Amino acid sequence: MTPSVPDFMLAHMDLLVFLGVSFLKACVVFGAVMGFAALLTLAERKVSALMQDRIGPNRASVFGFALGGLFHPAADGIKLMLKEDFVPKWGDKVLFTLAPLFALFPVLLLFAALPFGNYIDIAGLRIDLQIADFNLGILFILAVSSLAIYGAFLSGWASRNNFALLGSLRAAAQMISYEVALGLTLVGVLMVYGSASLQDIARAQGELLFGWLPAWGIVCQPFAFLLFLAAAQAENKRTPFDVVEGESEIIGYFLEYSSMRFASFMFSEFVEMIVISMLAATLFFGGWQVPYLQQSGFVFPWDAEIPLNHYLVVLLQVGSITVKTVFFSWLLLVIRWTLPRFRFDQVMTLCWKGLLPLALLNILATGVAIWWLG
Amino acid sequence: MIKIKKVDNRPLTLLERLYFTEVAAGMLVTLKHFFRNLFKPSNIVTVSYPEERIPLPGNARLRTRHRLKLRADGTPKCVACYMCQTACPAYCIDITAGEYSDGNPVEKYPVGFDIDLSRCVMCGMCVEACPEDAIAMDTGEIPGGALNRDDMFMTKRDLLRNLPGEPSLLGASNRLHNEWDRKGKKK
Repeated sequence: MTPSVPDFMLAHMDLLVFLGVSFLKACVVFGAVMGFAALLTLAERKVSALMQDRIGPNRASVFGFALGGLFHPAADGIKLMLKEDFVPKWGDKVLFTLAPLFALFPVLLLFAALPFGNYIDIAGLRIDLQIADFNLGILFILAVSSLAIYGAFLSGWASRNNFALLGSLRAAAQMISYEVALGLTLVGVLMVYGSASLQDIARAQGELLFGWLPAWGIVCQPFAFLLFLAAAQAENKRTPFDVVEGESEIIGYFLEYSSMRFASFMFSEFVEMIVISMLAATLFFGGWQVPYLQQSGFVFPWDAEIPLNHYLVVLLQVGSITVKTVFFSWLLLVIRWTLPRFRFDQVMTLCWKGLLPLALLNILATGVAIWWLG
Repeated sequence: MIKIKKVDNRPLTLLERLYFTEVAAGMLVTLKHFFRNLFKPSNIVTVSYPEERIPLPGNARLRTRHRLKLRADGTPKCVACYMCQTACPAYCIDITAGEYSDGNPVEKYPVGFDIDLSRCVMCGMCVEACPEDAIAMDTGEIPGGALNRDDMFMTKRDLLRNLPGEPSLLGASNRLHNEWDRKGKKK
């Protein structure tokens, strides 16, 4: 006798619930990230405008309401969709189509490992506020983000254009170099918290040093944070390290791309900015932790307690990581619009002669400190 | 008044070559602007042009939308001599000449006078060429964009108008016309 469908569902209720909840979490995170990335395209233009004593975009309007340029991301999207979808005649059409996907897909995948809260109890069901709790979260991040090189490289290769190919060579060289530095800056964090799971690292940052100082990454690894920020900005290929694209003078790997294919390259850059901001917040600024907030409520070191509702605590935690992510995205924008671009040899020198030895030194110093303090 | 800042080109010190302090100094400058403009937008220099206008500087050298001047009695000063059409490097002026039938000693007037602004390069050659001071580019209106070509096409009706303080009395035909207007027409 074959089991009926309701029997099967009852027997595997836990799996089905897990599947549904995971799908729901993925949808929520995906929606939030895409929305925020779209807003970042507007924020970049607004922030740069304010820094340069300008107003910024404010013309796209619906029924006469511009709302300070809030409709510009939608207008840009519509415009890009209506543009001609150009494929070079001699290019590799399959790879040319796949390259934008290879650029966008890995950066979106990264959000699976990033925790956005501790856990929430709904009707006795404990839901981790993270799509997938990998034991090797940091390694997963490094592995998947290095996949993005394929997007950069394939696009130049498939375009059959010498300048695009040169651009993608620059991109690949820069991304691979900074991948090394980025990985090594994270080793110090790994050593301090003793886990590669990002959720474990976030939880460990809720503890207090000396009884009053939150054990955030910036306190334990301040130098690694600066190195991480530099390496991550370079990995993201944004302006101080924008030799890949160099929109004012040199030509980048998406030279032959137009319409939504180009948009997906652009968009992946903005999504990667969110990844970096969230990663910086998770590793160095306590992730979803609010200082002195435990699961039961605020517990202050001066023997004061404010008990809080469980859902309020969850809200505070999710709000905390959101605020931190927004802050770091803004900081990356400010850095991008402040600093001039490095030359390519300077970029490479900074990586191999600057960041890499410093990251190794940081690992050594961290090791000595851990051995010294027990 | 433009402020001049002299840059001291000395070799970098060690602290400056370490770059991090210089990054912070640079961000201090941009952040100062960012927050000042965020909380006090009056410092922003942008003019939201079509809605908001400022007096245009340097009137004598400024070339704006064309107009055709009128005499005191409302007839066009233009005598349809084709000078401007000949001088125009962009071939955007198209004149159709006609003759006065009422014994006006000026003899000619423009039946049609079209300027295609979508072709015009705003060089001001027509104004220079005009012997009668009839065409001018002193309206202070900057021709912007349009949603179709017809909106960029100015006919005699759009062009003929006086500014406050007109009419001007320059030009030989102007005197001729005014004398005829005073004496001859009354008969």
